[in-house]
Amino acid sequence: MTVADEEQLVRSSRKGDLDAFNTLVQVYQGQVYNLCLRMLGPAAAEDAAQEAFINAYRRLSSFRGGSFRAWLLRIAANICCDELRRRRRRPAGSLEAALEAGSPADVSSHVAGPEEEALRRELGRHLQQGLAALPAEQRLAIILRDIHGLSYEELTEALDCSLGTVKSRIARGRARMREYLMARRELLPRRFRLEE
Amino acid sequence: MLEALLQFRHRRFRRDLSAYVDDMLSERACRRLEAHLDSCQACRQELAELRVTVEALGSVPMAEVPRSFTLAAAPVAEVRPRPAARRLEFGLRLATATAAFALALVVVGDFTGLPGGGEQEEEEMPAMLAPAAAETPAAMEAAPVETPEPSVPDITETYREEPAVGADVSEEEDRGKETTEGAEVEEEAEADVAEAQAVAAEEGDGFSREEVVRWLEIGLGAGVGVLVVLWAFARLRRSIGNRA
Repeated sequence: MTVADEEQLVRSSRKGDLDAFNTLVQVYQGQVYNLCLRMLGPAAAEDAAQEAFINAYRRLSSFRGGSFRAWLLRIAANICCDELRRRRRRPAGSLEAALEAGSPADVSSHVAGPEEEALRRELGRHLQQGLAALPAEQRLAIILRDIHGLSYEELTEALDCSLGTVKSRIARGRARMREYLMARRELLPRRFRLEE
Repeated sequence: MLEALLQFRHRRFRRDLSAYVDDMLSERACRRLEAHLDSCQACRQELAELRVTVEALGSVPMAEVPRSFTLAAAPVAEVRPRPAARRLEFGLRLATATAAFALALVVVGDFTGLPGGGEQEEEEMPAMLAPAAAETPAAMEAAPVETPEPSVPDITETYREEPAVGADVSEEEDRGKETTEGAEVEEEAEADVAEAQAVAAEEGDGFSREEVVRWLEIGLGAGVGVLVVLWAFARLRRSIGNRA
């Protein structure tokens, strides 16, 4: 979908065209759901993603142009942060356990072979554990940058902060993830192991 | 000392490694970091590990959505609760502005002598009418002298000169003529008064103060009316927007 198509769909959605909005939902639901999954775990991810799209439809009038994906992910990120705050106030279980249970690596790949698939699952589990150990704002920055591939400009919109803050959060998050993974380097697939 | 300085620089370069991986460093900072990397094995190692970490994170597959999140029906538009004070904000501002303007008008009127208060108005009203009033008696006096009076003595004199031709009839005619002549005199006098007032008004400031006050009142009323219409229009647009 081109930028012009997306803009047209946003314009139609703002006029109340639900079909146009649902086209946008179909384009971005994977990214929104995956963000919620990595931030909250599988139990809450579905509800959070649905809430994000409902809120997005309601707040379409507040979209001021720019990256629609960043705007949408920002809504999802805010919902995730609210949920994490609620959990901190009423801790019902380990957040890490909740996140690990919903490791995205559990999803089977149709392309990779069984061995590659097992390695991918293992790596995904480690990465999810490492991400779960990060502070929420660093986790959000790392997920959006390194997994979802947002540009720094999009990140300033999605995280609602300056470029300097974005760089700082990414640098700190990556440094902690590096320490986490290097402490378990024997568990990493061969291609991720550095020659000593 | 030198060791501490080197450690400080080393920490600073380590902070830049992440932005370097993403090619987000300025050209100058990039050159400095590369020069440091040439001489620092620890930073080279950290950079390599960082690249592996980023690559590993990028290799994580995206989970498939468990279901479609498309909306079956349009959710009700979000109506953000607004406090009553904010809802009435514009109306209150308008009312305050109008009251302040009216107060300012009264104060300015007091200082400049415009009729604003009741007492002053009562005092000034005669003064305002004074030019016209001062001129009207003269006009009233002058008018009978100029036009009707010369004819009246003529008539009486003629009737007095002819007493033999029915004195009763002539007396009645005389009385009747006197009344009609008197009415004409009064009408002419009134016309003169009105003329004198008009002349006085025209010869004054160009327009009377009454007219100034009247136009000020009309202007103020029209201004408030326009503001109220604008306010109502803005509220209508907002309510249409919320409904949409």
